[in-house]
Amino acid sequence: MKTNNIYLYDGSFLNLLNLIKILITKQIIPHNIKDTTYQPNLFDEIISLSIPNADIFNEIIKSTSKEIFNTLYLIFCSTNENKEIIIYYFFAHSLKFHNKIYYQRNLKSVSSALAITKYVSNENHKMKGFLRFRELKNNLLYAEIAPENNLLFLLSKHFSIRLKNDYWLIKDVKRNIISIYDKHDFYLISGDNFTLETLEYSKEEKNMNALWQQFYKTIGIQERKNDRCRLNFMPKKYWPYIIEMSDEL
Amino acid sequence: MELKEKLTILADAAKYDASCSSSGSTGWSNSKIGNTAFSGICHSFASDGRCISLLKILMTNCCIFDCKYCLNRQSNNIKRAVFTPEEVCYITLNFYRRNYIEGLFLSSGIIKSPDYTMNLLIETISLLRHKYHFGGYIHAKAIPGASEYLLKKLGSLVDRLSANIELPTENGLKLLAPNKDSQKVNEIMQFVKTNRSKHFTPAGQSTQMIIGATNETDYDIMQKSSSLYTNYHLKRVFYSAYIPVNQDSLLPTLNTPPLKREHRLYEADWLLRYYNFKVDDILTPNNPNFNLLIDPKADWALRHLDEFPKEINHCSYNDLLKIPGIGITSAKRIISSRKYFNIEFKDLIKMGVVLKRAKYFITCNGKYFIDKSFFKKEIIESSLVLDNKPQTTDNNKQLSLFL
Repeated sequence: MKTNNIYLYDGSFLNLLNLIKILITKQIIPHNIKDTTYQPNLFDEIISLSIPNADIFNEIIKSTSKEIFNTLYLIFCSTNENKEIIIYYFFAHSLKFHNKIYYQRNLKSVSSALAITKYVSNENHKMKGFLRFRELKNNLLYAEIAPENNLLFLLSKHFSIRLKNDYWLIKDVKRNIISIYDKHDFYLISGDNFTLETLEYSKEEKNMNALWQQFYKTIGIQERKNDRCRLNFMPKKYWPYIIEMSDEL
Repeated sequence: MELKEKLTILADAAKYDASCSSSGSTGWSNSKIGNTAFSGICHSFASDGRCISLLKILMTNCCIFDCKYCLNRQSNNIKRAVFTPEEVCYITLNFYRRNYIEGLFLSSGIIKSPDYTMNLLIETISLLRHKYHFGGYIHAKAIPGASEYLLKKLGSLVDRLSANIELPTENGLKLLAPNKDSQKVNEIMQFVKTNRSKHFTPAGQSTQMIIGATNETDYDIMQKSSSLYTNYHLKRVFYSAYIPVNQDSLLPTLNTPPLKREHRLYEADWLLRYYNFKVDDILTPNNPNFNLLIDPKADWALRHLDEFPKEINHCSYNDLLKIPGIGITSAKRIISSRKYFNIEFKDLIKMGVVLKRAKYFITCNGKYFIDKSFFKKEIIESSLVLDNKPQTTDNNKQLSLFL
């Protein structure tokens, strides 16, 4: 009986790339690649290789390109349940095609990979706008987000340039990860290892919220009211974390 | 007056300005807070579906002018307010830190004199840039009639500078805005065009005109836009459907703003800027207004059906751009991809082509999507009109009342 060879990795991007490198060198075509939480079914053959955690990011960029590396990372941020195997095929193809791979949309593994990256980068762009910080008592800025994709790293990069002289925290509520920025660098840590004792807002916070909500209400033109258009651009799933929308929920 | 009340008055007075874009800037060095994103970022969407990217406010709604269409005209009996420069900075910085906004859009009614108003804007933006080292996006309105050295100063502090031409024709302006002189607006645009650099309005200039307050045709409006793009290298011309805020015998009475017309103007504007269309391709003096049922590109294609269907695997980039349902991105993808493989209908969907519209106008490897005998103007036209869903659902609702 034929079994499905499933390769395991530890859930991190680096570990996945190291595993894929081994598979490609050994010319193994996996049925799928999963992280260690995977529940195998009857036909699965689970294989755990010993994977080095070597820093091969630069090596990958060298053998392909910066764009391809970014594409791989964007796919990794998605919640697609087959993202690992999609990364495997996209990377394998890109070793051959290099940047010409972006014009090979007739290949299924390319078009599905690019559809995922489009979805992830669109949401990332949206979240750069929709994320809302609140000021806590000690001047610390605190934001909660719950995007579909795992965007905490990309968003932290964005805000570490934009708000470089503030201390801030961003919590991905869905995944229970927190990004902490200390005016130099940001660090991603699990929410289990970190609790904010009390979320006490600063004195100004309430006033600013009120000013902003007032501005939001004022700026819309009554004669042009268009709920459908607004919903298209700002889907309801984001509303709970957008302070000016919480009234309308 | 409390800050909240001021903000309400001065945001309400600014809301009719259509522009809220925060794109195109290359950023400011040495800032301590904030940067710009070349693509621009929308932070929220208002109840009218328009993007909120910038804190859009007036410095003051006091105005010595008396333009008929404007809420802030001198003869209107409304509550007036003036921000202090520090107040504007305080709101901008606090909103920015909380990621509510991408920056500031500061405009103003004309208080005392153009120079006085301009100085007020400069003082405010100077504070933001130099005292608070703010590196976010700033769009300011230039005040027509202010001195050139003030214009120079303001331009060196902002990402984008704009002056509104307000109405598409000289006659319209004379009728409705007797205090405004279009020559002064042209001078500003000429000045910005000549001086634009990395340190002077890096994101360029834009302008806005009100549509439907005077009786210009769409052809007149497009001619005006086209000349603005050619003469002054504007980034954008914004069209703002006229909304009656004042009662005046010189103003038309409209029940609803002409939003569909505004939409068609934007579509045609895009065709001018990115699709190599000329105004006379889209409209003519004999056919001076848009077809409200079909978008300008499809309308053009239907009038030039002898040039179709185009073969996706052979036709030029420029020809691809003329096909309804194909945009810049998908046209580029088609050109690059067909070197590597023969494109079929199923591949087009993966490239982002809106096949629902494009399929009537193309062949892939010589094949039409259906029997070629269906390639007739009437058939394509009715299918395209039927695809305009919102109108048909309205009709359905009305019908059901009678059934």
